Amino acid sequence: MELDFEDVLVTGLAKSYGPTLALAGVDLHFAAGTVTAIQGANGSGKSTLLWLLALLAHPTRGEIRYGGYGPAHADQLRGRIGFVAHQLQLYPGLSGHENLVLAAKLQGISHAAERATDLGDALALRDYWDRPVRTYSRGQAQRVSIARALLHRPRLLLMDEPATGLDTRSTRSLIALIEQERRTGGIVIIVTHEEEFAEKVADRILHMERGRLVERGA
Amino acid sequence: MSLLRAAWLVARKDLQLELRTKEILTSTGLFAILVVTLGSLAFYTDPVSSPRVAPGVLWISILFCGILLIGRSWSLERENDAIFGLLLAPIPRAAIYVGKTLSALILLFAIELLLVPLCLVFFQIEPSGIMLPLIALVFLGSVGFVATAALFSAVGIRTRARDLMLSVLVFPLVAPALLAAAVATRELFAGATLDEVLGWVRILTAFDLLFIGFGVWVSRYLLAET
Repeated sequence: MELDFEDVLVTGLAKSYGPTLALAGVDLHFAAGTVTAIQGANGSGKSTLLWLLALLAHPTRGEIRYGGYGPAHADQLRGRIGFVAHQLQLYPGLSGHENLVLAAKLQGISHAAERATDLGDALALRDYWDRPVRTYSRGQAQRVSIARALLHRPRLLLMDEPATGLDTRSTRSLIALIEQERRTGGIVIIVTHEEEFAEKVADRILHMERGRLVERGA
Repeated sequence: MSLLRAAWLVARKDLQLELRTKEILTSTGLFAILVVTLGSLAFYTDPVSSPRVAPGVLWISILFCGILLIGRSWSLERENDAIFGLLLAPIPRAAIYVGKTLSALILLFAIELLLVPLCLVFFQIEPSGIMLPLIALVFLGSVGFVATAALFSAVGIRTRARDLMLSVLVFPLVAPALLAAAVATRELFAGATLDEVLGWVRILTAFDLLFIGFGVWVSRYLLAET
């Protein structure tokens, strides 16, 4: 059974790593068809929030609801979440194409190779995607990582510094892709330090400081 | 997705990476040859002493090759935080453990294909009549050892002292299986029949089932969210 949800509700979310408080009680609501950018200094809790939303970490306190579903449905919810992490989470010894096909198969996509090819075309990866990932520039690997996050057409797309290393043309493609996600009802949450990029793509910009939301901009 | 299907995808990815680089097979294979060669040269062996020394050399070689191999296999998951790519997939957590165990076992068996005949030749042990039980002992001993070591490698994926932890925790835990395998191999080399080592085979089988079952059950928690 494939789960789906129309919004994500974060309530009193806190996360500690030993004595360090990374997230100190955050309340948020993300609706379908919206793009949210999160900004803040290093260590302000932005990435921790993304990891919690990606179900890669347990909150110390509070909860996240994906529509009517919670952590009890984590295995199925992962099939609706795409995550572009700062560390690209690709196997350096495999080619970009092999990384994508592996991810598509693990996502249970029936025509894995075809889906990978579609995204390879959309993100202009095919010129270099037969080479091992370890030979890629940061920007090339970043594009493969973005393609992997989109393979299974996620409802919730989480991106940690997605524009890092991208050239102007690739950044434009990324913006177009985020816009498409918004149009098709995706919930997009982006952590970025780049204000110009955030202003271009986001419906709202949140600022974090010491694990808390400090200001909400439109 | 079923656990076995996901596990096979994980294992196949590891084997694909290894076939490309041959890094693990080359380094551990050379190490295995070195241990057996040194073992055979370090002792003055004759037809009486050879069967007494060979089991120790064989199992020490398997043990260290296995530790090297499993450590390298899991280090692939730490590069670029690739393990999180697996953790983001909607697959049972246990599939990652089963897949990594399966690929490590296949690679260890490949090394043992070289190691066991080499050991028999260097220690002048007559293979006729002992091959079948010897294969069974090496298979069962390797399964138990790899299943245990892979489990602790999964624990160590987010631990800095992973190598220390692997050595300190795994060796005492696999001691019963390794002792059973080494003693049964000694008996076999000394001329025991399959029936006479059947008790050891049963102990090894029980150990394997226990640790595979425990590994599958506990890996869902070990590989869960932080």
